[in-house]
Amino acid sequence: MNSRIENQKNPGIRRSRVGAAAGGLVRGLFLLLVLSLVVFFLARACPGDPLRSWYGDGVDRLSAAQKEAMRRNLGLDRSLWVQYGLWLRNLFQGNLGISLKYKRPVTAVLGSVAGNTAILGLLAYVMTFLPAFRIGSSCALKEGSRKDRRLSRIAVVTGNIPSFFLGLLLILFFTVKIRLFPSGGAYSYGMAHSLPDRIWHLVLPCAVLVLEHVGYYGLMVRNLLVEETRKDYVLLHKSQGIPREKILRRYCMKNILPGMIPAMTMAVPHILGGTYVVEMVFGYPGLGTLAFESALYKDFNVLMAVTLLTGALVIFCNMLGEVLSAAIDPRMRDDAAEFREVDYE
Amino acid sequence: MNKKKNRLGPGVRLSIILLAVVGIASLLAPLLAPYGPNEMGPAINQAPSADHLFGTDSMGRDLLSRILYGGRASLCIGLMAAAISTGIAMVYGSLSGMSRRWVDRGLMGFADLMLSVPQILIVVFLQAIFGKSGYLSLALSIGVTGWMAMARIIRNEVRRIRETDYVTAARMMGGSFGYILRKHLLPGFLPAVLYAAVSSIGAAMMTEATLSFMGLGLPVAEVSWGGLLSDSRNALLSDSWWIILIPGIVLIGTLIAIAALGEQVRKGNTRLHSNL
Repeated sequence: MNSRIENQKNPGIRRSRVGAAAGGLVRGLFLLLVLSLVVFFLARACPGDPLRSWYGDGVDRLSAAQKEAMRRNLGLDRSLWVQYGLWLRNLFQGNLGISLKYKRPVTAVLGSVAGNTAILGLLAYVMTFLPAFRIGSSCALKEGSRKDRRLSRIAVVTGNIPSFFLGLLLILFFTVKIRLFPSGGAYSYGMAHSLPDRIWHLVLPCAVLVLEHVGYYGLMVRNLLVEETRKDYVLLHKSQGIPREKILRRYCMKNILPGMIPAMTMAVPHILGGTYVVEMVFGYPGLGTLAFESALYKDFNVLMAVTLLTGALVIFCNMLGEVLSAAIDPRMRDDAAEFREVDYE
Repeated sequence: MNKKKNRLGPGVRLSIILLAVVGIASLLAPLLAPYGPNEMGPAINQAPSADHLFGTDSMGRDLLSRILYGGRASLCIGLMAAAISTGIAMVYGSLSGMSRRWVDRGLMGFADLMLSVPQILIVVFLQAIFGKSGYLSLALSIGVTGWMAMARIIRNEVRRIRETDYVTAARMMGGSFGYILRKHLLPGFLPAVLYAAVSSIGAAMMTEATLSFMGLGLPVAEVSWGGLLSDSRNALLSDSWWIILIPGIVLIGTLIAIAALGEQVRKGNTRLHSNL
């Protein structure tokens, strides 16, 4: 009888986790390709001479024949699709054009600041979710108490404060009123490699990001845990004499992970976007400042590159999230369609 | 009958009053504002006084008037952007929900892709491309990048509604897509999407404020709350707290009021479906 049920399952679905991961990778690369298409065609809609944006100001000094040769080189006389192909080929060769503002190759401009953004973003992400889990579980433990209600209300308020305003307030207080923290930059002049100096510069931007998001995710953890404590197994453990804190931390936390992992995956673009804004407010040299400045100066090569890099990072994190989801919860796997929403086809 | 459970809590009533005040004040800005929004007077960097209720900024402009006129821009753009993104989400989500599995998967995949890039980045990209800014172009930029989450909610609801008898009957009798959308799908998914729609107003206002703060939003001559906060960056050094705090509190208050309203909408909808 069992074999009959086995045979009814779709034999074409792959069961192996490696297979699922590989499928995810292919999907991710395809998404990246589509993103590059969108970015390319969007950028082509922009006004301005593409020759200038590729070769810089030297274009003015060229003769007409040289300009023609360059046009043919860039494929500007060919169809848009051919141009896309050429641009893609350049991309794979690491040539992203020249930054109009900085007069340097885009890859160099990006490379010099990407690390700064990575540090700030990663720090913000970790510092958001660790306290979120802690405070959320603490509130769920004391559900309905004054502390719980007060913290929930504070969470709603802090989530609605624009990050740039919070940044301004913190600068006003911590830099102008009491000279405790620097108002901007990633490091003091000449101290690029000094760790304590870096940390000193990271405190305020990171604080803004954490305050912005910890409320939202802490509230989410708290609500998920509250629902979890309504389940029967919690009553069972309580009747067995296991202390409340241990039930919450050991059993309930694990069970809310399937709900939290999609949220943590969605948090990546949110926190990244927030990082970009905060960078601009604090003058922190990162991808965000680069993106906003290149928008102000119409430096499209840099803008395209930052968009692609950001998209690639987020798509990568999405794939990671999918792999994690499938690993911890069999219901999320590819071959588990029968556990998920009913298929109406 | 116990009317108590239908009465709105104090927080919600306060929010509605606040929003009404802000809305009406912004609407009547030309009548209420004591000075013009860009009118520069002799009093520079003055703290709130009888003459200027909210004080003046570094160029002698009255802050109260600027907040009133700025409210018009911020509220207008927020509402327009929310309307645009809700409209796109409705059509996109319904199309995706009503179509075949592979079309649905493709459409939702594209939506997921758009979700991958932080919204602020795409808006900045669009703003850089379509140079000149006005209320509409800014609202378009924000609206066109914020429909994805709502579209997903709508698509899930539509997939549920599509199997009901009345929709099947409508399709059999030759009802067009627009007809089914208007008569059957819309009333079906509206409760689910209302909370997201209200939240998107707040999110759009925050995005507009951020853009104006960066100098990528409205042109300098137009005043909006984000632009006011951008000017306040100079106030950091002149220790004029009112230039920073007052516009900020107005903006935050409005956003929290909208969020509270959204929460009330969600609670209201949940109560409707309760079986008790």
